[in-house]
Amino acid sequence: MQALQSIFQRLIKLVRTAAITVGQMIYGATIYEMVRDLNKERASIEHLFILIVFGDFLGIPILPPYYTLRLLPYIAPNITGWKRTLLRERDLTDLCDQEIT
Amino acid sequence: MNSLIALLIGVATIGVGYFVYARWINNHIIQPDAKKATPAKMFMDGVDFTPANRNVLFGYQFKSIAALGPILGPIIAVQWGWLPALLWIVIGTFFIGWVQDFTSIMIGVREEGQSFGALSYRLISPRSRMILLIFIYFYLWLIMGSFGVQVGYNLFTNPAVPLGVIIVILVGLLAGQMTYKWKQDIILTSVITVVLSFVGIYISTLTPVKNFFSLIYGFATNAEGAVVSPTMFLTVTQARLIGSLLMVAICYFGAVLPIWRWAQPINYVSFWIVTLGILGGVVGLLIWHPGMGDFPAFTTFNVAGLGPLWPILFVTIACGAISGWHSLVSSSGTARQLEKETDALYVGGGSMFLEMFFAVIAFLTATVAWGSFQGYKDAGGGAAAATVFSKGLAAFMNKWGLPVELGTVYGSVFLTLMALTIMYLVVRFMRAASSEALGDKLPVMKNVHVGTIIALVVTLALIWLVPFLQIWVMFGAANQLMASLALLLVTLWLKNKGKNYQWTLWPFVFMFITTIGALLYKAYESFFINLPKAANQANVAQYTIAQVIIGIVALVLVVTALLLAWDAMKAFRQPITKPAEVRA
Repeated sequence: MQALQSIFQRLIKLVRTAAITVGQMIYGATIYEMVRDLNKERASIEHLFILIVFGDFLGIPILPPYYTLRLLPYIAPNITGWKRTLLRERDLTDLCDQEIT
Repeated sequence: MNSLIALLIGVATIGVGYFVYARWINNHIIQPDAKKATPAKMFMDGVDFTPANRNVLFGYQFKSIAALGPILGPIIAVQWGWLPALLWIVIGTFFIGWVQDFTSIMIGVREEGQSFGALSYRLISPRSRMILLIFIYFYLWLIMGSFGVQVGYNLFTNPAVPLGVIIVILVGLLAGQMTYKWKQDIILTSVITVVLSFVGIYISTLTPVKNFFSLIYGFATNAEGAVVSPTMFLTVTQARLIGSLLMVAICYFGAVLPIWRWAQPINYVSFWIVTLGILGGVVGLLIWHPGMGDFPAFTTFNVAGLGPLWPILFVTIACGAISGWHSLVSSSGTARQLEKETDALYVGGGSMFLEMFFAVIAFLTATVAWGSFQGYKDAGGGAAAATVFSKGLAAFMNKWGLPVELGTVYGSVFLTLMALTIMYLVVRFMRAASSEALGDKLPVMKNVHVGTIIALVVTLALIWLVPFLQIWVMFGAANQLMASLALLLVTLWLKNKGKNYQWTLWPFVFMFITTIGALLYKAYESFFINLPKAANQANVAQYTIAQVIIGIVALVLVVTALLLAWDAMKAFRQPITKPAEVRA
C-alpha cells in the first residue's frame, strides 16, 4: 500500500513537473518575445536618458550640470554596462536577434 | 511501411542522437560548466543580454527556427522515393543538424556573445565579414522567393483561404491593441483572439466568400473543363497576381510598422493556430496510422525539374535536417540569453531534434495521406507542396471528425501564417542590410519605406519569373551553405581551443562539397541545358531571364563561399599560439 502511494506521489510530481515545463516552453514560444521587447524598449529609454545626462563619459561634450552630479551616485553601478551596450560594435548578423526574433 | 514505424524511427533518432551521441560530445569535448558565468549573466544589460530559464529558451529557439523549411522540403524530396528523404532527415539531423545548432550557441556563449560577423572577422579574415553580408542578402532574397511563391501562387489562389488569413491578421492587430494599449489580461486576450481566428477560418469556407474571391480571381471553366484564371502577363494569372500583391501588402505593413503593432501580436495568434493544427494532425495520424501504399521507396536518381539525388536531395530538405538560419538565430539571440552553459545542448540540440520530428510529420503528409504515389502526384506533388501538406493534414484531422474542406483551409491558413511570419521579418532584415551596405553612398536607402519597397520589388521579380522548384533548390543550397560556413567557423574555433574538431570538420566537408555541387549543377543546368531550350518555350523572354537569374545567383553564392573557405583554410593552417608563460 505504501509502495503504491509512493508511486502515485511520484507520478503526480512527474505530471506537475511536465506541466510546468510545457508551460514554460509555451511561454518561451509566445509571450517571452513581447516581454523581451518591452524590456529592451525600457532599457533603451534608460540608456537614452543616461546618454543625455552623462554623455561626457562617451566623449560627447555635455557640461555636467548640478543635477547630473546629484544623480551620479545612483547611475555609477550601471555605467560600465551602459557604455558597453552603447559602444559595442554591431553588424548585420547582430540584427538577427533584433529584427527577426 | 506504416506511418507509426516512421514516427518510431524519429523517436529512436532523438533517443540515440540526443541522449547518447550529443551527450557524449557535450560531456567529453565541449565540457560545459554550469558555474561559469555566461554573457547573459556577465553583461545583463536588459537590451541584448538577459538570462532566461532553459525551458523558456527552448520554446523561443524552436519558435525561431521552425518555418516552412521542414514542411515543404520533405514533401518535395519524396519525389526521389520515401527512403532517401527519410534517411536524410534522420541521418542529417543525427550527425550534422544538432551539431550546428548546439555549437553555434556554444561559440557565442564562450566568446562573450559575439555574432557570426564579428567571429568570422576575428577567426577567418577581415574581409570575410563583408563576404558574409553579401551572401546573407542573396540568401534572404531566396527565402522571400521560395516562401512567396507558395503563399502568393499556391495558398492565396485558393478562394477559401484569403479571408481566413486577413481575419487572423486583423485579430492579431486586436491582440496587440488589447495587450499593449488596453492592458488586458493575456489569457483573456488569447481566448478571445484564438476563438475569433477559428470563426474567421470557418467563415472563409462559406460559399458566398469563396464565390466572391473566385469572381475577383476571374476563375472560369475552360473548354477542357478545368477551372482557370486568365493569364495577365508571362505565366502570371489574375489569381496569382492578386495573391502575390496581397502577400506583398501584408509583408510591407509587417516590415514598416513597429514590431509590437503588427509582427508580434500576429505571431502570437499564429502560434496557437499552428500548434493546435500540429496537435490535431498528430492525433489524427495516431488514430489512423495508415501505410504508404504503393509509394515507392526509391523512384529514380534523376528527378525531372529537380535534378540528381546527389547533391540536390540534400539541399531540398533544408531545415528538417540542417539549416544555416539556425546558426544566425542561435549565435545572435539564444547565446545571449543562456543562463548556464549546461543548458546549451537542451536548447540548441533539443529544439533541432524536435524540428526533425516536425519534418517527419510533414514527410508523412506526402507519403501516407494519399494512399499511393499517384495520389500524391494528383494532389500537386512537389510543385504544389503547400497544397499537399494542407490536404494531407486535413486527411489526418478528418480521422477525429474535422470536415476535410475545413481542415484543408485550416492547413492552408496555418502554412500561410507560418510563411508570412518569417517573410515580413526577412524583409526587415533585407531593409537593414541594404541600409547598412548602401546607406552611406545612397542616403535614400536609409529610408524605411524605400528599403522595404526595393526588397519587395526584387521578391516579386523572382516570384513572377522563376519556377518554384528552381527557387526552392537555390534557397536550400544557400541555406545549407550558410550552415556549412557556420560549421567551418566552429571547426576553426575548436582547433584554436585545442579541442577535438573531427565531429564538426567532416560534417562541414560533406555539406560544403554537397552545396557547392548543387549550386554548380544549377548554374550548369541553367546555362547549358535550359537556356538552349529557351526558343521552344511559350514565354521565351521570361524563361531566358529566369535561367540567367538562377545561373548568376548560383555563381555569386559559389564565389562568396569559396572565398570564405579559402580564407578559412589559411586561418586553419596558422599554428595555435600558446599564451606566454609568466613566472611568478
